[in-house]
Amino acid sequence: MDFQLIGLLVGLRYKLLWAKIRTRNGRIALFMAGYLLLALVGISFALLGATGGMVAVKAGKAERLVQGALTAIFVCATVTSVMLGFGLNQVFSDAELRRFPLNSRERRVARHGAGLADPFWLLFLALYLGIAFGVYLFGTGNLLLGALAALLLFACNYLAAQAIGQAIERLMEKKGGSFVLPVILMAVAFLPSLLAPMLRKNPAALRALVRVLSYTPPFGAGTMMTRANAAALGGLALIAWWGVGLVAALVGLERRPSRIRIAQTGSIRWETPFAHMAAWFGPVYAPLVEHWLLFLFRGKRFRLSYLMSLVLVPFLLLIWSGQGTHGGDPFAGAVGVFAVAGLAPAAAFIVNQFGYLGSAFRRYFLFPLDPAAALRASSYTLIGLCSVYVPLAAVAWVLFAPVSTGVRGMAMLLCSGIFGLFLFHGLGLWTTLFGPRCSDPSKTVGNDLSLLGNIVVVGGMIALLLTPRFVGEFHKGLIRPDQWPVTAVLAALAIAFYLISLRCASALLPRRREWLLAVLEKRA
Amino acid sequence: MDAIRITNLVKRYGLVTAVDDLSLTVASGKMFGFLGPNGSGKSTTIGCLTGLLDPTSGRIEILEKGFDANAASLKRRMGVMPENLGLFEPLRAHEFLAFVGRMYGLDERSVRTRVTELLDALELTDASKILGEFSTGMRKRVAFAAAVIHSPDVLFLDEPFESIDPAGVALMKQWLHRYVQQGRTVFLTSHVLETVERLCQEVAIIAAPGKLVWQGDITTFGREGAIVYDGKEFEALEPLFLHLTGERHVELNWL
Repeated sequence: MDFQLIGLLVGLRYKLLWAKIRTRNGRIALFMAGYLLLALVGISFALLGATGGMVAVKAGKAERLVQGALTAIFVCATVTSVMLGFGLNQVFSDAELRRFPLNSRERRVARHGAGLADPFWLLFLALYLGIAFGVYLFGTGNLLLGALAALLLFACNYLAAQAIGQAIERLMEKKGGSFVLPVILMAVAFLPSLLAPMLRKNPAALRALVRVLSYTPPFGAGTMMTRANAAALGGLALIAWWGVGLVAALVGLERRPSRIRIAQTGSIRWETPFAHMAAWFGPVYAPLVEHWLLFLFRGKRFRLSYLMSLVLVPFLLLIWSGQGTHGGDPFAGAVGVFAVAGLAPAAAFIVNQFGYLGSAFRRYFLFPLDPAAALRASSYTLIGLCSVYVPLAAVAWVLFAPVSTGVRGMAMLLCSGIFGLFLFHGLGLWTTLFGPRCSDPSKTVGNDLSLLGNIVVVGGMIALLLTPRFVGEFHKGLIRPDQWPVTAVLAALAIAFYLISLRCASALLPRRREWLLAVLEKRA
Repeated sequence: MDAIRITNLVKRYGLVTAVDDLSLTVASGKMFGFLGPNGSGKSTTIGCLTGLLDPTSGRIEILEKGFDANAASLKRRMGVMPENLGLFEPLRAHEFLAFVGRMYGLDERSVRTRVTELLDALELTDASKILGEFSTGMRKRVAFAAAVIHSPDVLFLDEPFESIDPAGVALMKQWLHRYVQQGRTVFLTSHVLETVERLCQEVAIIAAPGKLVWQGDITTFGREGAIVYDGKEFEALEPLFLHLTGERHVELNWL
């Protein structure tokens, strides 16, 4: 195994990261600030980990509490990595590494070495080590065993996230994968809500569940961290077996060649449902809207994101409105969920409308038309597709609402939906022009947004979800159905903001085109 | 009539000059070769000529009308095959060509007829594949078809023949010859100098940073056997090109 070259490649991952940022004017400071923030979060997490460990020991149920905490972190890291793409982006694909004198095993080690060195994963390693240290300080655990457990659990966590990511990619390659995946996710998402009340009523079932969980890596690591006897060796053996199993699963999945799905039809079809839908937009925009619809729905990323929202929106509504939990104003929670319903189905595309086109972007400037027509067509297409989710959320609310809200309540929720829809689509026009990123539409998972895109998507979603909830929490009764005119005014303002943004963005596009071309064709 | 007239064209990216005071004229009904080494400013010049880039200074006239990025009526008379092809990868060939045809204002009947005929002629009839699954040569054919679908008066082709098989190249050349015979103009770049020599009547050679170093009629090679420049006789385009752009002899001991 050529560890010297592998080490160089892992180092190159950071060099490339730095070089990529350095080429963007004014981004260096932001990059530094971002990493500083990450470091701070890492330190805090490590301290939280240590504190958590100490608390667990003092509570007298060290092993169980540590196992629970490790399970929660494990699940959180896996979900964040797979669903949001943090730490899953590989700088080097196997195909890219083939240019180096490495065999397939060495390429795999280099690829995952670079993946493990991702700042995201190092953050979770700090957390695991923090817990091990905390338990050692206040308990009977062995520091070396605890550190070993943290390292092994960290490796298992990374392998599990990678294996799940690969499994999703493979599933999406299959016919109907885009439909099957949301169903699986729906089942996984709703399972805890369904299980929680059942387990509360039935302690025997809870014990059975804990028995099952005791065969998982976090439980093994918890035992290793809190005990220094034969049981710790049992925990070690358990994680080691999981590690071997996950490596085997990952290697097996990676070795399966990607399958290119061949369309069923071999002859030209001129009339498509997309052409009929696009015809509604009139003769000028129809061809542009049709090509956007084709472009979006042929990409795995958009299909998954759009269809997954069928699960995500009702799920958020169920969880955020307080169903299944105690406390909180259900209506205020629902107002927040409606506000993000118009972003969730296509967030990455709304804030980076040209980012998935690559060199095709230049076509809009070669055609004998105002290039801004392409931007407007893209925005109309996305807003049309996302607007479907506002009435869908209303249907979900009628079906699952924990409280009756009446007509005024529904008006307030719909206005909140319209507010979020137009606000995000207006902001998306600005990020499309000022924070684009050349992205791959065929990649199913991963966070490929620019800093500005992330701020709008992640920051915007959190802000809109939390604000009504907090307002409802601290000022009881402030968010009431009879105040629906307030949200109606907000919706009208958001529409005005969108229209102004569309006008400004249309005027700005020709002036931004050279820079956009350079970014989207990876020359800047 | 001049199809293309460039006067004192300058294009700068910050402190870097990509095209420096370039002036040249291309007459209508000519196949014009625009040559230069890598990084000499060919694609930047084509970018300025097709409305992708704004010139820093200078004037561009196409078909005797002032051209800028907003000149929609002129763009309707221009066909462009960009260097990086500019294809919408998730679309199928017929979908992409139909889209391009519609954007150039062709009616639906013409779109369908022309797309079908182009796909048949260029052997791109497999409608089960999206453009992203096509080979490089096939993608080039699609980009070529997109450039000619609206039957433009001026055609800009950036490296049109690279990666296409000989039969495909022969067909494209045949079409281009007929096209020029009809009084229309082709402005092409290529690094394959033999092809340029056989295809083009006139050539301009630029060197970095986008400076014109030679422009002339290359049918002289056929008529008189050689072109005289700098007191030297050049019997083919390649030695002339190397003389003008600087031939380099470097020996590496280890290679």
